[in-house]
Amino acid sequence: MVQPPKRPLLSTEETLVLELKNKATQAQAFEVLVNTYKERLYWHIRRIVLNHDDTDDVLQNTFIKVYRSIDGFKGESKLYSWMYRIATNESLTFLKQKSKKSGISNEELQETMIENLQSDVYFEGDEIQLKLQKALNTLPEKQKLVFNMKYFQEMKYEEISEVLETSVGGLKASYHLAVKKIESYLTDSD
Amino acid sequence: MKKNHKNKFKTPEGYFEGFNERLFQHLEEEHSIPSIIPKADGFNVPEGYFDSVYGAVVKKVQEKPVKVISLKTYRPFYYAAAVLAILLALRLGWDQNQEINFEDLASADIEAYLEDSDLGLSSYEIAEVVNLEDISLADMTEKSFEDETILEYLDENVEDLDDLDLNYEELE
Repeated sequence: MVQPPKRPLLSTEETLVLELKNKATQAQAFEVLVNTYKERLYWHIRRIVLNHDDTDDVLQNTFIKVYRSIDGFKGESKLYSWMYRIATNESLTFLKQKSKKSGISNEELQETMIENLQSDVYFEGDEIQLKLQKALNTLPEKQKLVFNMKYFQEMKYEEISEVLETSVGGLKASYHLAVKKIESYLTDSD
Repeated sequence: MKKNHKNKFKTPEGYFEGFNERLFQHLEEEHSIPSIIPKADGFNVPEGYFDSVYGAVVKKVQEKPVKVISLKTYRPFYYAAAVLAILLALRLGWDQNQEINFEDLASADIEAYLEDSDLGLSSYEIAEVVNLEDISLADMTEKSFEDETILEYLDENVEDLDDLDLNYEELE
């Protein structure tokens, strides 16, 4: 008997996307999506906006945007990299709006955010961790993102490459530069 | 061994083919040396925060649109305002042929609108709707730059050549 050709099995992520697009399964799939990615996206956002309450707002907005735009997700990139891109854009837009509302430049806002860390109840860092934030603040935006994603979130270069749409070679060079600059800042300011 | 006919120097066989791999291996070995960068960044979250995320998101998703207040009670004022507007228009000799077009807006007004309102578009989203093929550098600036000035700027300000998104096939 001739067997019908086997259909390729859908990955968990592809199944989740299909369920999110189907009205009957959407609610349950959305719960799975939020519970799967909430921690990873939280830490990604937190390292950009620094403050817990702001991170909570941006995280919720990220998931709402994902929920409302899932029909337009064509699967050309992976779901997680698409969500990370939304989270990155939401975080950077949030900081831009915040600096505009306060009437200060983005650089001044970053400096104020780092100063505020000292009185933040959800920041338990000591002097070296504060210095690290100051060192990160001297990096160009992309190098800062690459460093945080590689060093603290321990993402693979291939994953970061999908999120930031940059070649793996370029990312390795960016990361190396970031490490060198941070080490030099930490050593020089001792 | 490969020969370079221009300067007579030679490189070992396969030197350039394996260069990138050797460079990145060297960088990774360097990073495996214990660094002075702390392993933790000191951030923490309130107790039980992650358990509350899904509920908070769903609540926001399901938020009903703002209630619309009926304008019915203001109807008499609208009639009065309409009559006043007609009388004023007649008195001022309103030229009905005069239409306001997009061209009538001053560039400064359009720039101020774009600057002040947050369009919520990322650079990727803008790139999707703007046809870059029809735009040259001269359209974006009032001054024209010498090639040398542009190269000098790129040399000083670009750390990652990937940011330029160069199409090497076109440059060949």
